[in-house]
Amino acid sequence: MAKKKIKVPKVVNGVPQGEVEIEVDDTAGPTWGPNDKHRLLNKPMKRVDGPAKTTGAAIYTQDVRPPGMLQGKFLLSPHAHAKITKLDLEPAQKLSGVKAVVAIVNVGGEVRYEGQPVAAIAAETVEAANDAARAIAVEYEELPHAVTAEDALKPNAPAVAQGRGQGRQQKQGNAEQTQAALASCDAVVEAEYRTPILHHSCLETHSIVADFRGGDEATVYASTQGTFTIPKDAARELGLDQSKVTSVVQHMGGGFGSKFGIGIAGQWACRLAKQLGTPVKMALTRRDEFLAAGNGPGSIQKFKAGANKDGTLVAVHAVQHTMSGIGNSNVAGQPYQYKAQHAYREAAPVNTNEDGSVALRAPGHPQASFAMESLMDELAYKLGLDPVEFRKKNLKDPAWHRQLDAGAKAIGWENRNKTPGGGAGPLKRGMGCGVGAWGGGGNAQCVVDVTVAQDGSVTAAVGSQDLGTGTRTYIRAIVAEELGLEIDDIVEKIGNSKLGNANASGGSTTTASLAPAVKDAAYNARTEMAKRVAPLLGAQPEAVVFDGRKVLGNGKSLDWKQACAALPAGGLSARGQWKPGLSASGVHGASFAEVEVDVETGHVRVTKMCHVQDCGLPLNRKALESQINGGMIQSMGMALYEGRVMDPELGVMLNPGFGDYKLPGCLEIPQLIPIIDDGDERQAVIGMAEGANVPGVGAVANAVYNACGVRVRQLPITPDKILNGLLQLQQQRG
Amino acid sequence: MNAFEWANASSVEDAVKLLKPAGGKVDPDEAPRPIGGGQDLLTSVKAYIVHPPRIVNLKTIQGLDHITADGQGGLKLGALATLTQVEEHADIKGKFPGLAEAASSVATPQIRNLGTVGGNLCQRPRCWYFRLENYNCRKKGGSECFAKEAENKYNAIFGGGKSNYVHPSDLAPMLVALDATVTIIGPDGKRDLPLKEFFVLPSQDVRRETVLKDGEIVTEIQVPASPLNAKSTYLKFKERDSLDFAISAVAAALELAADKTVRQARIVLGGVATIPWRVPAAEEFLVGKKLDDQVLAQAAKTALDGAKPMSQNAYKIPLTQTLVRRALAKLNA
Amino acid sequence: MAADKTIKQSATKSTTSSAWSRRNFLKGVGVAAVASDAVLDRVKHVTAADAPPDANARNQVLAGPIKITLNVNGQERPVTVEPRTTLLSALRDRLEPPVTGPKLVCDAATCGACTVLLDGKPVFGCSVLAIDAVGKKVTTVEGLGTPDHMNPVQAAFCEKDGMMCGFCTSGFVTTISALLQSNPNPTEQQVREACKGNFCRCGTYPHVFEAALSAAKAAK
Repeated sequence: MAKKKIKVPKVVNGVPQGEVEIEVDDTAGPTWGPNDKHRLLNKPMKRVDGPAKTTGAAIYTQDVRPPGMLQGKFLLSPHAHAKITKLDLEPAQKLSGVKAVVAIVNVGGEVRYEGQPVAAIAAETVEAANDAARAIAVEYEELPHAVTAEDALKPNAPAVAQGRGQGRQQKQGNAEQTQAALASCDAVVEAEYRTPILHHSCLETHSIVADFRGGDEATVYASTQGTFTIPKDAARELGLDQSKVTSVVQHMGGGFGSKFGIGIAGQWACRLAKQLGTPVKMALTRRDEFLAAGNGPGSIQKFKAGANKDGTLVAVHAVQHTMSGIGNSNVAGQPYQYKAQHAYREAAPVNTNEDGSVALRAPGHPQASFAMESLMDELAYKLGLDPVEFRKKNLKDPAWHRQLDAGAKAIGWENRNKTPGGGAGPLKRGMGCGVGAWGGGGNAQCVVDVTVAQDGSVTAAVGSQDLGTGTRTYIRAIVAEELGLEIDDIVEKIGNSKLGNANASGGSTTTASLAPAVKDAAYNARTEMAKRVAPLLGAQPEAVVFDGRKVLGNGKSLDWKQACAALPAGGLSARGQWKPGLSASGVHGASFAEVEVDVETGHVRVTKMCHVQDCGLPLNRKALESQINGGMIQSMGMALYEGRVMDPELGVMLNPGFGDYKLPGCLEIPQLIPIIDDGDERQAVIGMAEGANVPGVGAVANAVYNACGVRVRQLPITPDKILNGLLQLQQQRG
Repeated sequence: MNAFEWANASSVEDAVKLLKPAGGKVDPDEAPRPIGGGQDLLTSVKAYIVHPPRIVNLKTIQGLDHITADGQGGLKLGALATLTQVEEHADIKGKFPGLAEAASSVATPQIRNLGTVGGNLCQRPRCWYFRLENYNCRKKGGSECFAKEAENKYNAIFGGGKSNYVHPSDLAPMLVALDATVTIIGPDGKRDLPLKEFFVLPSQDVRRETVLKDGEIVTEIQVPASPLNAKSTYLKFKERDSLDFAISAVAAALELAADKTVRQARIVLGGVATIPWRVPAAEEFLVGKKLDDQVLAQAAKTALDGAKPMSQNAYKIPLTQTLVRRALAKLNA
Repeated sequence: MAADKTIKQSATKSTTSSAWSRRNFLKGVGVAAVASDAVLDRVKHVTAADAPPDANARNQVLAGPIKITLNVNGQERPVTVEPRTTLLSALRDRLEPPVTGPKLVCDAATCGACTVLLDGKPVFGCSVLAIDAVGKKVTTVEGLGTPDHMNPVQAAFCEKDGMMCGFCTSGFVTTISALLQSNPNPTEQQVREACKGNFCRCGTYPHVFEAALSAAKAAK
């Protein structure tokens, strides 16, 4: 068969890392057809696992309890940086019900962040495991630490990341030219924007149950974004052949970029299970999750930027620091989506004695977008330009122009505060906007099997996982549409590494990778079915039509079940793989926010939010709206409520719980207007989820400024910052 | 959670005996504890900031969950009456609106269904450093207040010094404003005292927030008949409306003459001090005045006189002034 | 400077140089022993070894593993717990077979995922002791409906897409089902107030509100 070379996105642990070239079959194969001609797809569909999830019947990893299962537990370091001088496990080992206590860091070893696991425990009950963790006698010799950028960048700062210098710079663009161009600009803004370290806050903490009872096989239940990221590492820890380890992910309670591979929880679940020959569950506590399960990086972004009265963005000079603990995350480069005549960016990661950052929804993009959108707003106000028009002037892609117009209309942009801080009474209303982008392309990893049994039942099987995005639902819908059946006629099997391979869910690549493979499998099943049934109808196989649970041709029709009865005893199987024409890459979004600021209390209430998002062919409009809503809510959370708080001197986190790390709740949710941008006519599937939580952060921050005249450059925008800002404004005015 | 013993008490007297520390005097955080709704107690035990060797269940005692109007305009609240009972009680909603508002402002419905009046008054304070086990702050028996020089945006602007936590109760400021009294029963018998004397400053006893000694329990709160009751309100300001403790709160009550001249006033601040913080100067300022904008502004300013903000919480001053103004204006409307 | 002055128990110790003296913050941790002295002559200490300890008994001091019976979704379910075992943990970790609809998310009364009904009222399962639930009716999301026979709230959640990952869903369904019992015709604001202790990370809130209002309509 002829081959062709194409480029697809490469994603590692949720972080997009450019593109790779792959070779694929050069065949015609299936196509989606026009976006508005689908029977099931591009319509609102009910989630097929809804009944299981709403009745408690859905089994998550944390719900699994094989016979004899022990409860695992970590003892965490209480210090940001310390050497262990004594470690006595015996008091814990002696406790009743405690089966194993194992050192992870030994005497003489160092811990480099608060929360680093020091010892692992397996016990008969949760209570006994907790007691054991507290009975371990550890002595620490504290060492100097740094948990703020200021401390980390001091000349005599303690070394945090081994083998990596602090603040090693990457540079792009010409600094001198950019600086020089600023001189002639009509308006120049110098500003520093800060975002704190964020937490994924998956409701299901990192959890793994290693079901191993001796012998040569094991099943590993994992709360993971990648079914196939589990078996290899689990097998290594269990000392088994990879082929003998099955990973299972039936339902999972959120990942947001933090759940790839077995992680330290899985590692120790497996090691303890191997040591004891009995199943072990390792489920992090909420505090563990905050301290030791990864986080999203914080940022400090300093700008000098200039624009002209005609709205031209002339020069953007940006220095970006990424705060990623002992990890090495990055923030998307500036000037983000905007085109400037002169741009210079230098990026310098800053390591601190904190747990390392990992991918968190659109890694590095919300941070970059918040800073750039704030900067664009500051320039627009300084020049007296409409912030929307100023953006359009400096955005090339027509998608954003279309989306900004649609969003402005939905939010009522003309009703924004004409003077920031203007208006009578203490409640000030304002509006802001922002744009964002994401990749969301597919790659060639999925293998889907569709089988049609003699009794007419249809199964679509692939090892992929459903993070709550609706994977199960669109698998059924694609197959049903292809075979002329209904959603309930299909059974999907997912979340098991013994099924066909699938990529991990990172970079919003699942749908664009999986949907084409499902489509291909269904297409192949239909083609095969047509061949089998055509003689019964006296029709040519190419002329057989599948519709309304019937197989039609030559003026005749057979019920689906009658047609299937003609299949051999083993039924029919068809395999599908990803096909390049069925997915595409690159989505755009625009967010608008309307807020109400009480200038006498500093309280900010988002009253309305709108997000316009393209995604090629929408598969399930209802799930898509849920995703867009989720993106808006998460971006609002980042703007107004969320952030890790550290005590710089003690080096530890002060708010490792949901009482103090504040997620938006029911009373925070504004009127939300999710708009699917049907102006995007690409007949291809593209992942959009991460695109939807990028621009809202800046939109909310800009709306706050428009409402009350206070520009908060450090997230989250809490009442104290508003009140302090108003006080400053008052003092400036004398 | 550390292990503890459990006992269902059959009477107040038995509860008092069951609560007696086994080895005589013990650290306040290691004494047996009574449990009503347990919403703060269990959270604190789970967080390993208190370590009661025994928990004594008061819910098995008959007659502690009553809400009784005394027929003459006063009110009796059993210590085990739940916050849901208080907020839904028709008499309270009608005749003690501030109390109903305070009860319904607490946490979440799930917590109010279990949380009790007594427990709300006796809950432990809020401060990041106090609420995290690892910090051996002065409140926990250590030698310093960590918040003072560090992260203190939620901490106290009144009544601090040795320790700078905030008293988190929503009922307490309102009940103090309504001149409530509290009945306590312990090893030495029964005593009644004004609720405002129930709370102690860190300068008096940094380890405890109330006058309760080990083995003592609150059995009842009495709100006397007063024209203040009907003109009472509670305004609570939270960073996150859905579930949060007060950053600042104001319990206010007024008696107004027919021409709207203030006869008497009560203003008690919550969420900004180590105890419910009554501001007599502002109350006295209001007497004999009508509440125009200027008077409201001056009362608000006076209410915050003497505040001692730390590095990050000066914003609580204008915020609380606003709440004082709005609470009074609401009562005057 | 040694950190001894701040260490109350022996399991964890830290030392620092004097330059870092303010870092002597660590409070020692450890397993507290359970006091076992009888404080009342008529107080009886009971453990599972005695037969049969009665969790309802008055003035008995109960310690260690205790056999209790919980009424869960209309069934009497015997289970052995410690006094410190939460109702949520008893349901999920100790009952055989387990009841896993209510989820463990924060274990600190701050998220709502463990919401169950205690005598019909929503409470946080993580913040009730199992021993304190003896004699009360415990209803979990499983007791409200099954995939084949969903209650109106569960059906409305499916209809309106009131879930994504689904880990908060049991709590929301349980809270809203109780709300509609006491207030069959709530406003959206009342739904939000009732659910303000329930948190979702995926961001399904608007569809949850729609589902609650739609369920109220459907129940009429």
